[in-house]
Amino acid sequence: MKNTLGLTFFPAFDWYLSPGHPERQERLLYTRDQLEEEGLFDCEEIKEYRPRIAKIEDLQRAHVGVPNIARLITPAHLTSAGGCLVAADAVMKKEVKRAFALVRPPGHHAMRIVHGIRGFCTVNIEAIMVEYLRSTYGVKKIAVVDTDVHHGDGSQDVFYHDPNTLYISFHQDGRTLYPGTGFPDEAGSPGAWGTNINLPLLPGTGDEGLHRLYDGLIAPMLADFKPDLIINSAGQDNHFSDPLANMQITAQGYARLADKLKADIAVLEGGYSVESALPYVNTGIILAMAGMDYSRVVEPDLSGLRHQDKRCNQRVDELIAQSGEIYFNREKMQKLMLEKCHGVWTRKKHIYYDEEGIREEQIETVRYCDCGGYYTIRTAAEGTRFGDQSAFVVCLPRGICPKCLASAQDEALREKKTGKWMYVLIQHIDTGVVESL
Amino acid sequence: MLLGIDVGGTFTDGVLIDNGQVLAQAKTTTTHEDVLQGILAALDLVVGDRAKKIQRVVISSTIVTNALTEHKLASVFLATIPGPGMNTAKKFPVEPVEFSGYIDHRGKCTAQIDWRKHQDFLNVKGHGAAAVSGKFSVRDGMLEKELAAQLKKQGFSPVFRGSTLIGQLNFVRRTNSAFYAAATAELFGKFAKAVETALHQRSIGAPVFILKADGGTLPLQEALKQPVEAIFTGPSASVLGIEALVTPKENAISLDVGGTTTDIAFWEQSKPLMAKKGAVVDGYPTAVRTFHMRSVGIGGDSAIKKNPDGSYQVGPQRQGRAVALGGTEPTLGDALIVAGRTHFGDEEKSFAALAKFGDAKLEAQKIVQGAVATIKENIDQMLYEWSIQPVYKVEDVLRGTEFVPKLLVGVGGGARGLIDALGEEMQLPVDIPEGAMVANAVGAALSKPTLSAGLRADTTEGFYLIPEEGEKRKLPQDFGMKQAEKILTEYLQKQTAAWELPDQEVEIISKEFFNTIHGYYDSGEIINLRMQLKPGILMRLKMEDARLKIAEETIEGGKEK
Repeated sequence: MKNTLGLTFFPAFDWYLSPGHPERQERLLYTRDQLEEEGLFDCEEIKEYRPRIAKIEDLQRAHVGVPNIARLITPAHLTSAGGCLVAADAVMKKEVKRAFALVRPPGHHAMRIVHGIRGFCTVNIEAIMVEYLRSTYGVKKIAVVDTDVHHGDGSQDVFYHDPNTLYISFHQDGRTLYPGTGFPDEAGSPGAWGTNINLPLLPGTGDEGLHRLYDGLIAPMLADFKPDLIINSAGQDNHFSDPLANMQITAQGYARLADKLKADIAVLEGGYSVESALPYVNTGIILAMAGMDYSRVVEPDLSGLRHQDKRCNQRVDELIAQSGEIYFNREKMQKLMLEKCHGVWTRKKHIYYDEEGIREEQIETVRYCDCGGYYTIRTAAEGTRFGDQSAFVVCLPRGICPKCLASAQDEALREKKTGKWMYVLIQHIDTGVVESL
Repeated sequence: MLLGIDVGGTFTDGVLIDNGQVLAQAKTTTTHEDVLQGILAALDLVVGDRAKKIQRVVISSTIVTNALTEHKLASVFLATIPGPGMNTAKKFPVEPVEFSGYIDHRGKCTAQIDWRKHQDFLNVKGHGAAAVSGKFSVRDGMLEKELAAQLKKQGFSPVFRGSTLIGQLNFVRRTNSAFYAAATAELFGKFAKAVETALHQRSIGAPVFILKADGGTLPLQEALKQPVEAIFTGPSASVLGIEALVTPKENAISLDVGGTTTDIAFWEQSKPLMAKKGAVVDGYPTAVRTFHMRSVGIGGDSAIKKNPDGSYQVGPQRQGRAVALGGTEPTLGDALIVAGRTHFGDEEKSFAALAKFGDAKLEAQKIVQGAVATIKENIDQMLYEWSIQPVYKVEDVLRGTEFVPKLLVGVGGGARGLIDALGEEMQLPVDIPEGAMVANAVGAALSKPTLSAGLRADTTEGFYLIPEEGEKRKLPQDFGMKQAEKILTEYLQKQTAAWELPDQEVEIISKEFFNTIHGYYDSGEIINLRMQLKPGILMRLKMEDARLKIAEETIEGGKEK
């Protein structure tokens, strides 16, 4: 195949969260300049794609917006999600071997239920793409490797009950960085235990520690899981020059990772060293994914780079042992946990939307069945742009059996009758239709 | 009076135009051994005793194109300053000598050229042409300039610099442009001298311009500084010729059907669309601007080959004249006759010739279908290429950039019939205007000069730069987009002041404005601006008059061999 890499480049020069915000117009300006100056768009290994505008249904396979998703987003969100879908199509139709959606706005902090913007994200563009791949192409097993410095708590939330999605996130330890979550024991609900792998790294971890972790744990897990597709949430804020985090990864470190991971589709996430990191990291990732020589991609200024502390590798070794145990014993543990919970599992969550100051309380309940079951979410949020709001949400996964479907619908009707909720919503994950009762 | 000369692969055409009317036109055979003889022959046929009245001469020549296709290029010393990034091995026609040093994307010099590393090179005795190109030299040309000066010192001449040829991003394309400029400089210089001599002999003292690939003209002396721009001018002249003949108001696709090829171009609001990327020369992408167009190897004289499955391959070989006109083997032209789509020559002969394939009428239709399919395939690819142009803003995505054609415009000898069939296939109306026989020469004669330049300002740095000029200049007070436009307009006007042009409007090709935050606190502005002299033609032909004149004064100077 001549065209190895499909590239959807959409820098959204007219989208920003607020003046001076890290997610501002020129975030990808210098990256655009670098890619154009290198002449990457002329390489026969690289085929350019234009983003398209995603449909509301595409978003609703992954999300339930309150009161509805259309009122929470801007055309920019439809375009960055649409950029991912174009990348997915290019790979699935075998027009290219791999694809990179180098788009903004980003998405990995957006959870299934959306009341507003959190962590710069409103909709989760990887989750939307994963659900699209399942509904459109019937792809079953998918691994999502999140290389952003922040824990992808939104992606974790969307995939938490799904044993066919292996979500692996390495990030700076949540005790030192937003969003404060992402510890190894958040490993999935009982039916999907061990398919949500969090790898919190010590601040200051560099290329050495990262590749030790990749070789020692991530690669063996991927080899074992045998996903049909690997997706990379390609955040770039582990870079040593990133102003929002404290890691020590270089462009070479990222490019070598992309080369080893060989993701089928990569999607840009964070990365706010817009001048010193992004132009080089993106060039490195693109060259690596296209199978081209990336050895010459080196930041012109390496003066900010520090050697990693020896404790960083110790943490890596602990994670290899601890999370390896969780992953490789997952089937045994899933069985035990499902027996113990007697078919119903519940958790409470408090979610903070940093961008808008929204406080949300959730109670999530999973009801298990041989078909996989279904889940419900009770949500109440204070301080949204629509005021305080509450909803009872029923999520119907693909392949739900008629019995579960009937009891899920009964439950929704019962809750509607109580009059407790401002909205009662039913999400059909396969079709992306959200019914409002 | 305006004189246009088009040196094509087969014919050299000349045309003399006055006040929108074609006074005379001539067709002579192109003399490949000595191009100038053909030009002189065309001159003598159209000029007569009007030499003193000629105000401008424009020549469209294949000299650069031929040099490239025949690999008659001068050897070039290529020096690059690639810095970190993509490995450029095999990206240029020759392997470059790489130099140290780096300018980053913001125009900051992060490393000087370390001459101690290049001792071997400093001992080289230079001869012949050289090209120099540095990454991000369009943001600051200091390293490129330093290296160019060193090359000159060591004896290389002339030395071409990538960033002064074209002030746009794309290091690979700039490097290739500089390489081809250096490789064609000597040849083009000789040609320019010969042209000047010939015109002088014929007492034509008017300024001489060369047609460029973007359909604009450059004074001969200016063209010496960027000879590679004079490539692929034949198809550009054809587009300009169409512009002089018709004004498609809606989105249109024009097809100039010649004997061997069909040139396809896209039109929006009566203007031909420019390609988003530069031309590919001998397999290497350059920064040479061209129209968004394609030449397809199908024309009235195209050879016909029957495929094993019963379908037909039309072109790209040229068969020669149609059987209807005395040829020996049937051509696409014969098939169009038999299919009832056009009428010329001895049509009986066409029927007889096509009978060898089976039922002449049926087979003729299949042949026309084959030609139409190939043209349509190329149009579809052009539509696709246009549709994937980069989009940077949500606004662009919402608006969409697809080109939706509403009309087909056919010109050239083979247009009638073939374009009708294409129109039926694409379900589009077809317009086939009556036109001059020498549209290319008309296009050349009427073409306006073009020149483009960029301006980049980064107020954090306190400087602005017009890469084509190459000097970083201090920002004036209260600098903004308006002032940037004023500075760049003045620069373009200054450049062209010596060309003795009527006032030509300047237009913006692209502009970008960003408020930037450097670190956490310092804020600044980035302005990227690109402007050009408004391209196009000086005037449209007055058609009613033109056709009469053509009938009266057409002179057939050459005969096909």
